Amino acid sequence: MILLGWVALLLLFWFVGTSSVKHLFPSPQQVLQGFGDLYNEGLVVHIFNSLQLCFLSIFMAVVISMLFAYTWPIPLLKPVSEFVTKFRFLPFTGLSFYITLVVHEARNMQIWIMVIFLTTFLTTSLIAIIKDIPQEEFDHAKTLKCSRFEILWQVIILGRIDYVIDVIRQNLAITWMMLVTVESIVVASGGLGFLIKNSDKFMNHGRIIALQIIILLIGLTLDWAINFLRKAVFRYSKI
Amino acid sequence: MTYQFKETLLYVENLSVAYDDTVIIKDISLTEKDVVRTAKENTGQIIAFVGRSGRGKSTFFKALTGLVQPNTGKILIKDFASQEANAAKPVKEGDIGFVDQKYTLFRHKTVYQTLKFALRKTTISETEKEAKIKEYTNKWGLDKCIDKYPNELSGGQRQRTAIIEQLFSSDKFIVMDEPFSGLDVGNIEEVKKSFDLLSDMSEFNTVLFSTHDIELAIELAQVIYVIGYPTINGEKKNYGTIVAKYDLREMELAWKDHCEDHIKLYKEITHQMMIS
Ligand SMILES: Nc1ncnc2c1ncn2[C@@H]1O[C@H](COP(=O)(O)OP(=O)(O)O)[C@@H](O)[C@H]1O
Ligand SMILES: [Mg+2]
Repeated sequence: MILLGWVALLLLFWFVGTSSVKHLFPSPQQVLQGFGDLYNEGLVVHIFNSLQLCFLSIFMAVVISMLFAYTWPIPLLKPVSEFVTKFRFLPFTGLSFYITLVVHEARNMQIWIMVIFLTTFLTTSLIAIIKDIPQEEFDHAKTLKCSRFEILWQVIILGRIDYVIDVIRQNLAITWMMLVTVESIVVASGGLGFLIKNSDKFMNHGRIIALQIIILLIGLTLDWAINFLRKAVFRYSKI
Repeated sequence: MTYQFKETLLYVENLSVAYDDTVIIKDISLTEKDVVRTAKENTGQIIAFVGRSGRGKSTFFKALTGLVQPNTGKILIKDFASQEANAAKPVKEGDIGFVDQKYTLFRHKTVYQTLKFALRKTTISETEKEAKIKEYTNKWGLDKCIDKYPNELSGGQRQRTAIIEQLFSSDKFIVMDEPFSGLDVGNIEEVKKSFDLLSDMSEFNTVLFSTHDIELAIELAQVIYVIGYPTINGEKKNYGTIVAKYDLREMELAWKDHCEDHIKLYKEITHQMMIS
């Protein structure tokens, strides 16, 4: 109820604030127009494009990060994993420069930039999860005569799989934001970032706002969907 | 009440544990034997460890269960796999069951899955496993929660699941660290019932538990050890050890309703705890 009130107020403000002739912010009609234009230009395909890039890079990054994180408890490999986490401070543009030298196809370039960045973030979060496992859980597994491999499997992997899903959800905001940026820097066949870039050129405000709204809504939906999935699939999950 | 000591079940000699260079417990030796009574088919052993906090009770339990490596000493338990009468073996991780203060379980396993996992190394057939799980969950009042996860269980249910789990995977010994702390009256009664169940199940079942509730220790245990800082040659040390032992069977206070002598013992144990 309270939320609805605020939304109504915001909309009202928007209508009134943009009703004069000169305004910085586009009016609702312009935005609506923007939606229409976008739809005619194949918005659905672009969304699909972005989602595909998003899922593909998340999937690859999760697999790689898990490898780093699950080998983190092994003393010999610990420095490697910790080294990876440091890379999240690496500037974005420098990296994309080098990737351009190695990878030439734009779509692959997008994927590689995303995977490398996500891996650093996800590895950091996953290691934090493993660090947080209380000693009692390891001791409990030992009292049941678990081998080292069973401990890794039962306590660290199975015992924390719902946390991994939550880490993906938490990093999704970064992913989604970065994705649009990457798409507008490394221009490939399509995607939401590509659309923004295009609208930019024509100074089409209505379109830009319409796009922002779409990007925001998709992001929120993804967040909600993953959270729903986690709770539905893992009944024991109460984070 | 007549009773008899039989073979040795647990033998601890000169045990000490240090973390880094700090000695936490030292010079711990004890022997616990199987006890049989004429009046009852099965009488398990219930042994209490009392002492003020920080004196090393949990550390001692972790050494017993093989979770920390002792610096000196040895821990032997009866070898149930051997046919010989007095066969003993050094304790290994997993031989002695351990239920910690938080009743830790696998968070991703239901009660059924937990118990199935605990039985994975036993040689009995699948149908026997099913039957065993059924029998125990019924007897321990867990039949309604067989498909529940730990976060859906009450504290008492979690504790009982943890006890059965340890019973399934270890040999007759269960160590419980502070099983009564933070429980209300009703829950305490439930844990007492668990002790009775364990005790009646097999004459070899041996429960070792720690508490700072002396009354509960007197009510439940047949032997009470006080763990505290010893005073040697007038100087108080700062490592934990056994400073007093009370065998309620020898004092003719075990398996009995509360009486005058129990109150005397209570005062005596309180005194021992205070000075150590
Ligand atoms: N992992 C550990 N590392 C270093 N010191 C520890 C560790 N665990 C316990 N201690 C110390 O050992 C002492 C005894 O602790 P504990 O065995 O938990 O006592 P109790 O169970 O009797 O309260 C305490 O002083 C505690 O600080
Ligand atoms: Mg303790």
